[in-house]
Amino acid sequence: MIDERSPAVEARQLVKRYGNITAVDGVSFQATQGEIFGFLGANGAGKTTTLRMLCGLLRPTSGTALIDGIDIVAEPLPAKAKLGYLDEEPFVHPHLTGREFLDFVADLYGMARGQQRVDRMERLLSLFDLAQKDGELIGSYSHGMRQKIGLASLLIREPSVLLLDEPTNGLDPRSARLVKDLLEELAARGTTVLLSTHILEVAQALCRRVAIIDRGRIVAIGSMDELRVQTGSEGANLEDLFLKLTAGPESREMIERLLASGS
Amino acid sequence: MPGALPVIVRAELLGARNRLVKRNPARLVILAITLVVAGVFLGGGSFAIGATAGHFLPFALDSLLAAGFTALSLLMLVVGFPTVISSLFVGRDLLQLVVAPVRTRDIFAARLMSAVTANLLLSFILAAGVLGVGAGAGAPWFYYPMALLLIAAQVLVVTALQAILMTVILRWVPAKLARDVAAGVAGLTGAALYLAWNLNLRKTFAGRKGGAPDVSNLTSFFQRIDWLPTTWPGHALSATLQGSVGTSLTWMLATLALGALLVAAAELLYERTLLFGLGVFGAPTAVWRRRKAVPSSRPSPQPSPLRGEGVARPSPQPSPLRGEGVPGSPYRAIAVKDWLGFRRDVRRLTRLLPALLLPLGYAAALSQPARSLSGFWSNVALVTFLSMFLSSALASTSIPTERRGFQLLRLAPLTMWQLLRAKVFIALPPVLAAIFVFSVAVAVTSKSGAVQLLELLIFAVWLAAGFVSISVSGGAIDPHFEATDDRRSVGIVGTLTSIGGSLGFAVISIGALALFLFGEQAAAGTANLGPVPSTPAVGFAMILGGLLLLVAGGALVAILLTFANARLRAFDASISET
Repeated sequence: MIDERSPAVEARQLVKRYGNITAVDGVSFQATQGEIFGFLGANGAGKTTTLRMLCGLLRPTSGTALIDGIDIVAEPLPAKAKLGYLDEEPFVHPHLTGREFLDFVADLYGMARGQQRVDRMERLLSLFDLAQKDGELIGSYSHGMRQKIGLASLLIREPSVLLLDEPTNGLDPRSARLVKDLLEELAARGTTVLLSTHILEVAQALCRRVAIIDRGRIVAIGSMDELRVQTGSEGANLEDLFLKLTAGPESREMIERLLASGS
Repeated sequence: MPGALPVIVRAELLGARNRLVKRNPARLVILAITLVVAGVFLGGGSFAIGATAGHFLPFALDSLLAAGFTALSLLMLVVGFPTVISSLFVGRDLLQLVVAPVRTRDIFAARLMSAVTANLLLSFILAAGVLGVGAGAGAPWFYYPMALLLIAAQVLVVTALQAILMTVILRWVPAKLARDVAAGVAGLTGAALYLAWNLNLRKTFAGRKGGAPDVSNLTSFFQRIDWLPTTWPGHALSATLQGSVGTSLTWMLATLALGALLVAAAELLYERTLLFGLGVFGAPTAVWRRRKAVPSSRPSPQPSPLRGEGVARPSPQPSPLRGEGVPGSPYRAIAVKDWLGFRRDVRRLTRLLPALLLPLGYAAALSQPARSLSGFWSNVALVTFLSMFLSSALASTSIPTERRGFQLLRLAPLTMWQLLRAKVFIALPPVLAAIFVFSVAVAVTSKSGAVQLLELLIFAVWLAAGFVSISVSGGAIDPHFEATDDRRSVGIVGTLTSIGGSLGFAVISIGALALFLFGEQAAAGTANLGPVPSTPAVGFAMILGGLLLLVAGGALVAILLTFANARLRAFDASISET
């Protein structure tokens, strides 16, 4: 299926090497405007490295990362102004309160000061149940709360591209649901969301298309139907497809072997 | 679990070995050389002082030994406290040990081994001195093992006392905060000792012409406090030197008994503290009391997460970046964040206080009447030193202490030049303010005229701008973003760059100032330049030379900033959470 909308995020043959180790090996994909694109892979498969190259935190060994058509290495400032990146361990300042942190990020991105900004900040703090934590330093937040303030710091300036690394990690079910609803609404408004996760239910529920990465390479890309066709697994869910494509050892078999050796 | 102690110790040794192996070999070599040189200088110096005292001051040995042990105990109590807290009360691995079927006694014993390390290192200085006393006084052979045993006992006494103190403190203060405050107190003590040395003690110990130092005050003071347990090992050793075996054994047994008692008490209290989890497994919630911000207009509850329209709207929203107010400034953002962080971070605050105290010590030392420098040039030297010191204390860690927040800055549409500029502009005002106050104070004290004060102030602005830029660059060239301790947040390359650059800039700047001032006098025909004639031509040549030096100073700063910018732009690593 060819999408006629312009790609908001594009990875072209991205490679990242650390000495002899190739963490990402020729990854290419496109996510179009208003799409929630899933980026799936096991631990250490290369998801975070790819995302960090796309947001400009890591310089690719080779290949190109484009945000709204802008090369993030060649023109970092306009590209960064368009995107928001949430790390799996959000980058936050422990000695600021939630409100001060949002203020800091808003100023950092040159967001206009004034009532509109204050209202937006209050709305986001209330939305993520952080308003009552006013006066509490982020250093004392739980992981889930840090995740929420990290998300709020992205949403305060509404970037056109969101790169989210495990955004529901550590969130309670209510907050996780809130994030899912938010992402759907943002996508409907035209925001492109690149969602890296290994929670396959989240990916299946939210993403129109997914890319599966294994040992630094993309092994499959497309919608659920396209993946089923690619793997010849009619009626399979995302978990089955993922396990088949990443060709890991059968867990049941392993468990049985482990139990047998222990008895 | 019986035998857990060797398991824990083995794991800790393995961890220590891995940390060592992971380090850059060049840094390991530098560290080894530093340790050897420090050992030779400190140990050798201490041994020589001890031997001299042992030989020439037999009447004062009891007081000197008691003073040595008391001073060591105080030093260990203050300087070694952060290590004791870190080892016994802080760390996620402690939680793992507590939930495992391991006796608290084993945990205590294992952790005690790492807790005593700082105190043991400090005791090395005294050990060398005490052995020197023995050598100088011709002590019997058993004096030496006895001295080492008593020093080890004293290390245990102080460490146990620190553990006991912490079990009490933890009832109110979380362990990490206590450690940070203790580190600050240790730094302050070091600075205060330095200050005291410059102001007073140096005079006491400086040999008088043709005679021994006057230690009568010291002797009478320690005679008044010889009941203190910290003096007992000293009494034991001095009794050995005097041949009083019975007295010596009594003091030694008293010291060992006290050590055993304190260690047992510490173990008991440690067990209770772990059982109650007081301040060890998570601090009380860190709430920063501040005025609760009241939103000026409360938005009405929205059914939709973002705006409440409920239905998805495909048309893009007007960007919040283009609001009705003035655009936010990244410089302001960084300045406010740094200011708030600085105010609330106990570690940074406690680090600044010694930094402010130390220049006073140097000021006192440099302003001694014996100094041959003239008033103005003495003031120039003071202002140069102070601005260099303050810049280093305030600016060198400004980028590395961003820690993981640095990634946030890299993600923002912000160039590294902007970041460097912001950091320089943030660190400059406090340095300038301190130097201005100091310049006025020294100018008034030395009765300098208004013109000289103005010259000094202009020079101070130039120096502060240069030193702050160099210090920020040094931190940016070799940042250790993962360092939990600010003092370790700049690597050796950055530190050397910062020190070397600052010294170079200081020499260039003072040279330029000298050329300007003497050149002006030469142009007016009033300078005394020795064999060089004081003519307008020579004066102009000197002023030109001064200008060239200014350009060289500016170029040095520009080169370092450019290098720092390149290093920050090329930063390509992840920063783990600390």
